[in-house]
Amino acid sequence: MAKIEKRLPFWQRESFTPFVLLFPAILTLVLVVLLPLLFSLYTSFTGYRLIRPDSLYNFVGFRNYERIFTDWDFWVAFGRTVLFLTIALNLEFLFGLGIALLINRITWGQRTLRTIMMFPMMFSPILVGYQFKFIFNDNIGVLNNALQSLGLSDGAIPWLVDKHLAMGSIIVAEVWMSTSIFAILLLAGLFAMPRDPLEAAKVDGCNPWQVFRHITLPFLMPFAFIAMTIRSLDVARAYDIVDVMTGGGPAGRTELLWTLIARVGYDNSRMGQANAMAYVSILLSIAFTYYFFRKLIAARRYMGGAN
Amino acid sequence: MAEIKLQNVVKKYGQLEVVHGIGLDIAHNEFVVLVGPSGCGKSTTLRMIAGLEEISDGTISIGPQVVNELPPRKRNISMVFQNYALYPHMSVRENLGFGLKIAKQPEAVVADRVREAAEILGLEELLERTPAELSGGQRQRVAMGRAIVRHPEAFLFDEPLSNLDAKLRVQMRTEIKKLHQRVKTTVVYVTHDQVEAMTLADRIVVMKDGWIEQVGTPMEVFNHPLNTFVASFIGSPPMNLIDAQITGDKIRLSDGTHLPVPERLENHVREGQEVVFGLRPDDLTPQGHGIAENGHRASVELTVELAELLGTETILYTRINGSEVLGKMFDPRDVSPGERMTFNISLDKVHLFDAQTQKSVRLG
Amino acid sequence: MSSALKKRIGKAVTWALTFLLMLIICMPGLWVVLTGFRPNREVLAKPAVWIPEELSLNNFAQIFGFGAEQVAIPVPAYFTNSLIIALTSTAIAILIGMSGGYAFARFRFRFKDGIFLGLMLSRTVPGIALSLPVFMIWSRIGLIDTKPGLIIVYVALNIPFTIWLIDGFFRQIPKEMSEAAQVDGCTRWQAFWKIEFPLARSGIASAAIFAFLTSWNEYALASQLTRSTDSKTLPVGLMDFTAQFTIDWAGMSAMAVIIIVPALILTFIVQKHLISGLTFGGVKG
Ligand SMILES: Nc1ncnc2c1ncn2[C@@H]1O[C@H](COP(=O)(O)OP(=O)(O)OP(=O)(O)O)[C@@H](O)[C@H]1O
Ligand SMILES: [Mg+2]
Repeated sequence: MAKIEKRLPFWQRESFTPFVLLFPAILTLVLVVLLPLLFSLYTSFTGYRLIRPDSLYNFVGFRNYERIFTDWDFWVAFGRTVLFLTIALNLEFLFGLGIALLINRITWGQRTLRTIMMFPMMFSPILVGYQFKFIFNDNIGVLNNALQSLGLSDGAIPWLVDKHLAMGSIIVAEVWMSTSIFAILLLAGLFAMPRDPLEAAKVDGCNPWQVFRHITLPFLMPFAFIAMTIRSLDVARAYDIVDVMTGGGPAGRTELLWTLIARVGYDNSRMGQANAMAYVSILLSIAFTYYFFRKLIAARRYMGGAN
Repeated sequence: MAEIKLQNVVKKYGQLEVVHGIGLDIAHNEFVVLVGPSGCGKSTTLRMIAGLEEISDGTISIGPQVVNELPPRKRNISMVFQNYALYPHMSVRENLGFGLKIAKQPEAVVADRVREAAEILGLEELLERTPAELSGGQRQRVAMGRAIVRHPEAFLFDEPLSNLDAKLRVQMRTEIKKLHQRVKTTVVYVTHDQVEAMTLADRIVVMKDGWIEQVGTPMEVFNHPLNTFVASFIGSPPMNLIDAQITGDKIRLSDGTHLPVPERLENHVREGQEVVFGLRPDDLTPQGHGIAENGHRASVELTVELAELLGTETILYTRINGSEVLGKMFDPRDVSPGERMTFNISLDKVHLFDAQTQKSVRLG
Repeated sequence: MSSALKKRIGKAVTWALTFLLMLIICMPGLWVVLTGFRPNREVLAKPAVWIPEELSLNNFAQIFGFGAEQVAIPVPAYFTNSLIIALTSTAIAILIGMSGGYAFARFRFRFKDGIFLGLMLSRTVPGIALSLPVFMIWSRIGLIDTKPGLIIVYVALNIPFTIWLIDGFFRQIPKEMSEAAQVDGCTRWQAFWKIEFPLARSGIASAAIFAFLTSWNEYALASQLTRSTDSKTLPVGLMDFTAQFTIDWAGMSAMAVIIIVPALILTFIVQKHLISGLTFGGVKG
């Protein structure tokens, strides 16, 4: 290779082409994501407040991190976020699996059902939040109205105000919005499933549950992990939902890491501290994504589909 | 007017060298077949000629021109791919005319040449269809049509028949042969099927692990393999290879059988030399069932373990000192397993290879 | 129980569950749509009015400024902003993504996996976390509350996923297509536009729709980077309603309908390609 390549300037060499093609993408991401993140990393070591621009040069070392790590509210929000993600992702997987299996059984009108199933995926999270805020409204919400009209309850249930109910309501909205990505990918997995192993297992005397457990489910796992990976790319969309439904309230009972960042950064204008929290949230997202991406790679290898 | 010359051509993928400095002269209008087992570098070599792979070292020239740094489009060659690579979004007519259209030929010329190619290949009825509406054989024909419309200097084929079923393969093989006789051009054809190689080639190039093992006409390669690899690769069923030693004027096979050293090889062997004795199944025939039973012969007594009926002939499986040896029975009769038969060996057809170098003793 | 009966029951259960599922998916949205056509008075009524007595386009007329009462929320401006920002950022992201996706699909190069992972990880940064430094920098260089400011951010947001999808679509096209075209006399550039691009076109279109929806629906960044009618988008504008003391549920629902409708139509168009794009990119690696 060397002998011929040396005659061409480096940017014309075949081996350089991919980098030329990737240059715009990399440049954009460096400018819009990487550099700002480096800047915010710097800011997280300063006492920067929006209202006092000169505080940008006020270097405080690890004080912001110390402060957030000793802040009880932060840890509560952090724990609540992890719990929220765990519950939501698991529910989404379970419901998605159920829906995929259900729709796989239907032969008539399946295409239409699949399309309808995709709709929530395309909803703006802010709309999902609004929609459920409207449904769960204690005064004029459909849910309370329906309960009252049916005589199941006479008072107004404070869905978005009560400590436990509010979090539950937000999880409902989140699950409603994101289950379809699981359902759709798992359904695609069911379609791609080869028939031979299923039939072989039946001939070998497995009952339907065993077939599902030992043949279908392992085959579907890579598809579930794609869904998980895609989902973990934008888990923080939940911020939109919470912001419109409860705004993190009442009294911080639905505060997630992301709403806390917004409050500290913009409302309290403590940018340094907010950036420190933002870093924690970024690491959290990366951890989730990386975890599922690894599982995806492993599952793919297991299936022998990788090349 | 294109002869193709490869000089010391090397291909490396990073550190991995997959073609090790091969040289090859292909004459104008010659039909050359590259043959060898999977992964030996046939496709890589062909793709370097086409300009689809960079050459790591050496030179390739087409006609008078060194083409090392020319992109494929400037080499004036055509290529037929294993999976045809027809453009799925174009009709057969558009597929055929695409190259000419790119070259900005006037429409009348394009139409003419497409008609000509369609006629040669019997595609007239199919011109308006898309590739998806064609059978495998028809697709194959369109791919060849696309190659001939441009009147290139050379055709390159990369296993063009391997996606077809056995019967169609034989049919298309003859069509390719006829096509070559009709549109005289240089052809480089890659296959791993030695029957295809034998039937099509003016010259065969046998490759292995990125090296050229032998170049020659089909008869040369078949009758005078230069080493045990070529001997066992060309010909079906493959040549029997048996360990042996030269003792006096005899060849002592590993089971103790003594055979005379053929006259023509006498000067090529030394006393005590370890050799590999090669004999094609066609030349190991039960008494009374050979083709031409004259010339020098020896005979051995062998037990038939299995008989495989092919109709006009039967393959007989026997064993010499534990290793399997195949014979052929022409004008066959029923043979039962376990039967002991006397086999004739045509001494004129015996091959001897040096055990150490695996090369024909005639070479050294 | 006979097996025929068992089968019948199984079928009935399947259908009942499916019906319930569709109800859960469709009802919330439909209720919002319905509300968009009802007067606020009826929405707030106690006890609840279940059968709408009055349906009209009043809410829509009003938020677009044609109604009798003036609404303080400039929806037409938001709508235009949303459209311009989403379309522009999609077009740019697709061009960049096409070039990047092609590189991943067709070339082997050093650090390939690393670069791919890096691109994907850049997408994991939560919008709100990214908004902090972008807000600070944009304020300094005057991009805050401008359309270009938001467009640039959305391009960056869309690139990783666009590359993922388009990589998958190009991979489905055998490399030999482009090679055949090159042997046929094309430059690599011509081979791309004449052969590979037309074959990947529907896939690229669905990637574009996906990118459009991401920009169209985005809230976390837009809510911090926009201020006024110069650049505010529909999702941010929707929150204007909640800032008031009494929520205008009917008006808000009408605005929600305006945000939903394009999304639904586009989803309908892309659904098939999107599924194959996602699974292909993921499973075949
Ligand atoms: N892009 C590549 N990177 C690294 N190694 C490669 C690459 N392409 C091919 N090789 C290696 O080069 C060698 C020769 O490959 P080539 O495709 O020429 O084989 P072939 O003789 O055509 O085999 P087949 O009959 O299977 O088509 C193989 O060992 C292959 O693994
Ligand atoms: Mg090959």
